[in-house]
Amino acid sequence: MAKLWAIIKREYLERVRSKWFLIATFFGPIFFSAIIIVPAWLASRSKATSDIYNTTILDATTSGFGHRLAINIAGDSTNRSRLPEVRVVAPSALSQAESTATHAVMKDEKSGYLVIDQQTLAGESARYAGRNATSIADMAEIKGAIRETILASRLEKVGLDNSRMKEITFIPLDFSTERITEKGRAGSGMASVMFGFAIGFLLYLSIVIYGQTIMSGVLEEKTSRVAEVVMSSVPTDTLLAGKVLGVGAVGLTQQILWIVTTYVLLQLRAPIMAKLGAPAMSFTLPDISFGAGVIFLLFFLLGFIFYSSLYAAVGSSVNSESEARQAASPLMIMIVSTAVFIQPVLLNPTGTTAKVLSLVPFSSPIIMPIRMAVTGVPPLELAASLGFLAIGCLAALWLASRIYRVGLLMYGKRPTMREMARWVSYAR
Amino acid sequence: MTEYAIDIVKVTKRYAEHTAVSDLTLRVPTGSVYGLLGPNGAGKTTTIRMILNIIAPDAGSIHIFGRPSNDPRITERLGYLPEERGLYRKMQVRRVLKFLAELKGVKGSDADKRIDEWLERLSLKTPEKDWGLAKIDELSRGMQQKVQFIGTLLHDPDLVILDEPFSGLDPINAQALKDTVVDLKRRGKTVIFSTHLMDNAERLCDAVCIIARGEKVLDGTVTDVKEEHGQRNIALSLEGDGMQGVASILRDTALVRRADDSNRFFEIEMAPGADPQLLLRRIIDSGASVQRFEMIQPSLHQIFLQKVGAQGVEEGMSGHG
Repeated sequence: MAKLWAIIKREYLERVRSKWFLIATFFGPIFFSAIIIVPAWLASRSKATSDIYNTTILDATTSGFGHRLAINIAGDSTNRSRLPEVRVVAPSALSQAESTATHAVMKDEKSGYLVIDQQTLAGESARYAGRNATSIADMAEIKGAIRETILASRLEKVGLDNSRMKEITFIPLDFSTERITEKGRAGSGMASVMFGFAIGFLLYLSIVIYGQTIMSGVLEEKTSRVAEVVMSSVPTDTLLAGKVLGVGAVGLTQQILWIVTTYVLLQLRAPIMAKLGAPAMSFTLPDISFGAGVIFLLFFLLGFIFYSSLYAAVGSSVNSESEARQAASPLMIMIVSTAVFIQPVLLNPTGTTAKVLSLVPFSSPIIMPIRMAVTGVPPLELAASLGFLAIGCLAALWLASRIYRVGLLMYGKRPTMREMARWVSYAR
Repeated sequence: MTEYAIDIVKVTKRYAEHTAVSDLTLRVPTGSVYGLLGPNGAGKTTTIRMILNIIAPDAGSIHIFGRPSNDPRITERLGYLPEERGLYRKMQVRRVLKFLAELKGVKGSDADKRIDEWLERLSLKTPEKDWGLAKIDELSRGMQQKVQFIGTLLHDPDLVILDEPFSGLDPINAQALKDTVVDLKRRGKTVIFSTHLMDNAERLCDAVCIIARGEKVLDGTVTDVKEEHGQRNIALSLEGDGMQGVASILRDTALVRRADDSNRFFEIEMAPGADPQLLLRRIIDSGASVQRFEMIQPSLHQIFLQKVGAQGVEEGMSGHG
């Protein structure tokens, strides 16, 4: 036990002391907050910009439509600075006025101009030209304002008075979404999808990073022949266990630091969002019970053991980093193909694909926690998933320890699959 | 104290393609310096790995100080220096040493004290510079070798196993290693080393075992081995010219079984029943000027060549371990 502890301690301390660990631990939370804050910021960007106020309305309707439209675009008749400029022109002088307006846009005095005429009054067409013509939000806002103005003038014709009209056309709809699971209502749908994605991504990242860390650690011990010295002091199984546990503890430490600091950053998001010029979003983290937290942890640990023991086996069977990358590609394919399914599972967490992938040992450590984050998972499925994964872990450990103890002492050419199969059958 | 530090009885280790060690029996007396000699690929490293319980034999038994080699308590009494050396490159010297000591059951504070002693002894720690605080890859190759010695000996093992210890050593470290071996023996420790450098083995070892192709060729104390192989050898030194004539005499198989030609010095093994006097007479008759003509014990090198054969050496070159 003392020797196992010595190995765990070395693996843990040497890695936690490294610069790389400090950098990753520091940038991780910034990255994860960015994953959550940037979409919110982009969402706020999808509201129209102030460019729509800095426009010219070329009104060829001869009915004062332009002034009403300007007020609708400004959304607020008291704020003069938001009111687009309105130029009433005769239909015959329109082309002249357009070229003047184009020059103003080119000189950056205005961001664009809007042409309205009889056809606009009839609800058929209107034209806009400007620098922000590709901004979907700006165009939607202007289009909305035109519709609203047309609607208002039609209602007026029917004989509705101005104040009644405002009452009827004003619809400040705030569309909020909420998710319902087997357990009832569970907070905002967007938040839990983001949370599920964060969990999946975190697990994926940890498994890839720490799996490869173990692999190159094993390779270093093999090529430097330290392995032989260590093997003369402790059984190989102890060495393998010490490595997996030590590096696993590093991964766990990093994740805990990541989660804590990301949580703190999200608590402080209001000032950060304000700095970015976006309104603070109301955002509630999905309620994660203590039990669910423990199960996430269990999935991480089992998934980590599954992959890292296989990575250790790969590291022991090769002689150089380049060989290792090649030999590890089947493992990489298993992980990446799982990651490819993160999005489909998020979109349809109760579908057959999601159910199957959350039972198969090589994908369940990533897929099952995602499903748990976005939907309720029946306890039976959860138990089956954990059970299969545990069996998968034992199989991976058994296989890995056999390849590992032979591979560490074999130098020279890279073994074929058949040779590795024979190693597994060696007594010792 | 048991009589034998290592007692190997009828041990065999097979791999898929070949038999690495076949029916090997050898005993290493406690307190001796023992040489495991053989060409590359003879099975030395496999034997050492079995002694260290890194791999298990397919058949036979290995006892260390009277206990089975897989007894966990035994590993703490063994020190091992592998043939190709290396340490965790990015790790601080002291931490590497402490880790290796902990694996051998040395407690933390005790380890620190011993590390200090050793670093000072091998002048890795001087008032000006403490290399113990440097990382391994900041050390020169010679210094790294010293650190590796320390790692092997830090827990004061009773049995020290050195696999090809002289390969890659600079002369200063080689001398330090020889001094260490002598010192260990004086303190009653047992030292085993494998080598294909016969000169070192001859000077350092009390007893040797020569193995080739996984089988024991001969073993015994160095004195016994030499006596057994008779005083059939002649050391011959020549002066000036006349080599040509001598060379043709040495090719006479009725007289000479084998001659090891080092240009001006020859070690000659006489053919069975041949008369050394006749050889001397013919060399003088050829006009060569003889500086030395002496009946000597064969060197281990000669015995090795005679027993294993040049072919065995060549064959072994391509193999490993």
